[in-house]
Amino acid sequence: MNVVDVNRLTVQYGNFTALKDFSCQIPEGCTGLLGPNGAGKTTLIKTLLGFVDPTSGQASVMGEDVKTKGAAIRQRVGLMPEQDCHIPGMTAVSFVAYAGELAGMPSAQAIRRAHEVLEHCGLGEARYRNVETYSTGMKQRIKLAQALVHGPKLLFLDEPTNGLDPKGREEMLDLIRGISHGKGVNVLVSSHVLRDIERVCDSVVVVMRGQLRASGRIEDLKRIEGQPLDVEVRETSNAFVNALMAEGAMVGPPKSNVYRVQLSGGIVQAHQRVQSVARRTGTQIRGFRVAERSLEEAFLDAIQPGEPPKIMHAEGGSN
Amino acid sequence: MASPIADLSYRDYDGPLIPPTFRWWVIAKQGILIASKKRGLQVLSFLSAWYYLAMMVILFFIGRFAGGNTGRSLDPIMKRIVWKDQFLHGFSYAQLPLLLIALILGAGAIANDNRSRALLVYLSKPCTKMDYLFGKFIGVFLPMFLIIAVPTTIFYGYCSLSFADYGFLRDAPWLLPQILVVIFFSTAMNSALVLAVSSMFDQGRLAGAAYAAMYFISNFFTFAMLGTWRATEGTSEPAKTLFYASIDGIQIGLCKAVLATSGTTPFGAPDPNAGNALPIPPPNLWGTLAIMLFITLGSLFLAWRRIRAVEVV
Repeated sequence: MNVVDVNRLTVQYGNFTALKDFSCQIPEGCTGLLGPNGAGKTTLIKTLLGFVDPTSGQASVMGEDVKTKGAAIRQRVGLMPEQDCHIPGMTAVSFVAYAGELAGMPSAQAIRRAHEVLEHCGLGEARYRNVETYSTGMKQRIKLAQALVHGPKLLFLDEPTNGLDPKGREEMLDLIRGISHGKGVNVLVSSHVLRDIERVCDSVVVVMRGQLRASGRIEDLKRIEGQPLDVEVRETSNAFVNALMAEGAMVGPPKSNVYRVQLSGGIVQAHQRVQSVARRTGTQIRGFRVAERSLEEAFLDAIQPGEPPKIMHAEGGSN
Repeated sequence: MASPIADLSYRDYDGPLIPPTFRWWVIAKQGILIASKKRGLQVLSFLSAWYYLAMMVILFFIGRFAGGNTGRSLDPIMKRIVWKDQFLHGFSYAQLPLLLIALILGAGAIANDNRSRALLVYLSKPCTKMDYLFGKFIGVFLPMFLIIAVPTTIFYGYCSLSFADYGFLRDAPWLLPQILVVIFFSTAMNSALVLAVSSMFDQGRLAGAAYAAMYFISNFFTFAMLGTWRATEGTSEPAKTLFYASIDGIQIGLCKAVLATSGTTPFGAPDPNAGNALPIPPPNLWGTLAIMLFITLGSLFLAWRRIRAVEVV
């Protein structure tokens, strides 16, 4: 089931078109919303929350229409905004409990849950401090806590690692991964940092100039056409390369003792043929894996102008 | 370090969620709770009731010592007192503390949220702009109303129990509801105005300074009109009308119009129509009320327009 369905959505701010004829489906699990600054990621999140009225098209979040069911959506969704935001003059625990009450929790439940969520987000020791005295990392954590307090089924995280040092970034990514895997919370992480997305997300939606450029599971987007193999050998060997080429394989130049080999047929057959060639030429193979691009390469490929959007379905096929 | 037995893993919330019907009350309640902890508000609340407190003390001593024991009658003093005017005075003298209370409660209500981008927190929850604004409004209006209405009601209760024989209940049988109506509209206008000013700034102190400036500049104008009125010995029609063209003036105007009085001195002496104490007659009730409603609703509309979850450039 998709948690978000967007169908031909257009959002305009005056003459500026932030999203143009945008369609995508966001599946359950953790999904990354990737795109350079100004691509329309934040506009998409704000539209899904009902902050911005779309010019045309439809969108629904967990089956609720964004145009008419904004409040119902926001009761089941949590937002961690990109900018620092807090309510002045409050301690962390009263702020998070207040956020819970705003989301509809009874007062006593909100207080209990605020303590629990602050502990989970690593702010247990600082929960009675005024939020205005918090460091950047702590402010990021409290934004996550206030988004989680009412037990949302879907979390929108807008640039969650902004302003964090490497340690803080790792801790935040661990938190997000922990919440989004096995806890029944679906997460949409908007970021322009590919490494963060790759670390926590299973799927990705790539946005560029308000248009969808690619969507699907990360492993599918990283897959290379023809499914070549990366073959790691103990020592590079011309005899091995020549024998492979004689079998009709395309072999790339070695990178740290790794050859990229593309053979016709399926992966299993290719695997057997490479092993057979290695035995014949006395080459010691240390590892095999299906070759894939980095997410960065897949992203750069997706945002190439003139290329049609690459939409990978759940089965792994491309349209 | 957390306790080793503490389960820090994330757990889903499976408790009840209240439908988003009275979400504004959560916002109002929070505003009142934060304000009630401010020492300045407690002091000003006491100061705003000083006239009623002073009158109760004076009337108590007059009743106790100038009455039965010496054999002298209270009649000469009591007969001069116009009871409804005591409420006009109490309300008028509360205006300055009321301004300061409005500043404490309302100046930062939206401005500080603008500074800390708290609107994203509010509006990402199932709250509408209307819930937010109405919650903020009630958070300012309700304490202000109670701060003025409670001492007024206590004074009314004291007088009705002690001075019914001196025409307190007979002279103005609807006095309490009348004065409560005045307090209601006045505090509503004050609350709406201070929120509108607050919504235009992103620092509570700047918003407070702007509102105070607006109040005192308009009040200066009112004093100028009072001077003109007295200089012309009560013949200047523009001065009579424009006297009420200030935040302070329009509230006193409403009070005079509802109580149907021009106002006398606290104990009815000296003669209010003699010398410099030339009272300005009350303005038209419905016109004043219409203007106050316009200001209140206009201010709320202005604040509503300024509240945005996203800055759209």
